Amino acid sequence: MAYLTTFYWGWLLGSVLLGFAMGWISVVQRGDGISRKLRWWLSALVAALIAAALTRVVPGRFGYWLDLGLIMFALYLCGCAVGSWLRDWVVSRSAPSA
Amino acid sequence: MHGLFRWSSKWWPGVIPLVMFWAIAAWTSTEPLEADLAQRSVAALKDTVLDKRRISVAGRDVTLAADAFSEGGRQSAVTSVEGVPGVRLVNDETRLVPEAKPFVWSAERDVVRVTLSGSSPLPAIKGRLMEAARANLGGVEVVDRMNLARGAPPRFDHAALLLLDQIGKLKDGKITLSDTSVSLSGMARELGGREAIAAALKNLPEGFSVAANDVKAPPYIFQAYKDPVAVTLTLTGNVPDKTVHAALVAAAGRKFFSEKVVDNLKESIGAPPGFAEVVVSALGALSRLSTGTLVVTDREVKLSGDALHENAASEIRAGLGKDFPQRWQFKPEISVKPAAAPVDATVCQQLFTELLGKARIRFEPGKADIVADSAGLLDRLIETALRCPTTNIEIAGHTDSDGDGEANQALSEKRAQAVADYLVKAGLPASRFSVAGYGSTQPIANNDSEQGKAQNRRIDFVVK
Repeated sequence: MAYLTTFYWGWLLGSVLLGFAMGWISVVQRGDGISRKLRWWLSALVAALIAAALTRVVPGRFGYWLDLGLIMFALYLCGCAVGSWLRDWVVSRSAPSA
Repeated sequence: MHGLFRWSSKWWPGVIPLVMFWAIAAWTSTEPLEADLAQRSVAALKDTVLDKRRISVAGRDVTLAADAFSEGGRQSAVTSVEGVPGVRLVNDETRLVPEAKPFVWSAERDVVRVTLSGSSPLPAIKGRLMEAARANLGGVEVVDRMNLARGAPPRFDHAALLLLDQIGKLKDGKITLSDTSVSLSGMARELGGREAIAAALKNLPEGFSVAANDVKAPPYIFQAYKDPVAVTLTLTGNVPDKTVHAALVAAAGRKFFSEKVVDNLKESIGAPPGFAEVVVSALGALSRLSTGTLVVTDREVKLSGDALHENAASEIRAGLGKDFPQRWQFKPEISVKPAAAPVDATVCQQLFTELLGKARIRFEPGKADIVADSAGLLDRLIETALRCPTTNIEIAGHTDSDGDGEANQALSEKRAQAVADYLVKAGLPASRFSVAGYGSTQPIANNDSEQGKAQNRRIDFVVK
């Protein structure tokens, strides 16, 4: 993992920043999110992909691309979480004074 | 936490650019990553001995195909690649090199090249054998037809290197190492080469043995060429040692009284038994030819050339091989030199005087037995006598002053008679010869020195 991180750290950083931006926006965004059912299905899909990556059943380049995608997705989620939490913190700090 | 769960339902739009990022990252990073992993895998296998190694990388999966020389080496190679950072999976396509049973290695030499074939245990040993072959056989093409195989006996490389040294001593032939048995065949390059190889084989590593050594020695050749134009006798070829060498050159000096002896002989071991006595006797026969070549090859004596008269030719043909030791062969190719033009009495006398001035007819000490070394001179005297068939010749015997005068007188007569008998036996009419003995009464040199005495002990031919 350390090797992969050093190899394409730029893309990983991009994923984190993208996630951070998306998380930052999502706190104040109006409108509906994805349905609970769809979220469940998507979680199951991601879990299946993680299982496939961990068991190394996908061979060659596809296996590598799967690993790469999952790592980028994981970092994207981390970025989203941090962005959302930070935005929420900023919003909640400024609300009482307003 | 609840908020995070709620917000996460709105994170999905970012997945679209994320997928684009992912596609670009996959597109740009795959090949550099594969190249880097291939390079790292090769570096990880640097110290592992493998043959036919092929490394291919797909994504982070490395396919390793190679022939290993031991199970331990094979597993170590796979583990080394598995340990390369970034490698996800190793597709193990390694196998052990086949085991050769029996483990056969050979070196074969022909006129232009040396071919190494059979099995070699490791690439490094194979390389060392090729290098050693090139170094030992400077200039000779070395062809590598060796395969790699397991199952070599311990210290195979030492044995093979020693055998490669021996291939340099062969003119042609083959050396085969089958497990620990060594077989040799072919022809040694030089005389003594066979013996040198046999001696070197004693240094084979422990456990190795010589199953068959059929290396043949090259023919043992001695040649003598009598050149009547250059007036030389050229000796070439081999003689067994210094003593025989000196003896042969001395014998040639005695038998060839007018020719200069050119000595190009080389001392080499491997002469057949009886070599010296056969060559001395064959040189005696060659000295009786006007021109001729003597070739002694192993136990075969070939003498070709022109005898000075018919009787000499018959004597040489019939007489030479008779005294040879067992298993020696004599192949004479003797013809008779065409008779020279007749000359008158004066020229005849001049020719006799000239011949007897160069050499003397020699006898056993105190006896009237002509020594064999004088055969060449006598043939020339006979040839001269044949050129003046109408003349009568007095054969005059002389002695030195040693001993009793009457005894010397008798000895000189007997010696003159022995010469006359020799000439008559050679086919000349007895009526042409008269015999006279003068004892020591007509010296031509001072009898005070051995040299002077030797000059006085003589036979003169006087044309009448």
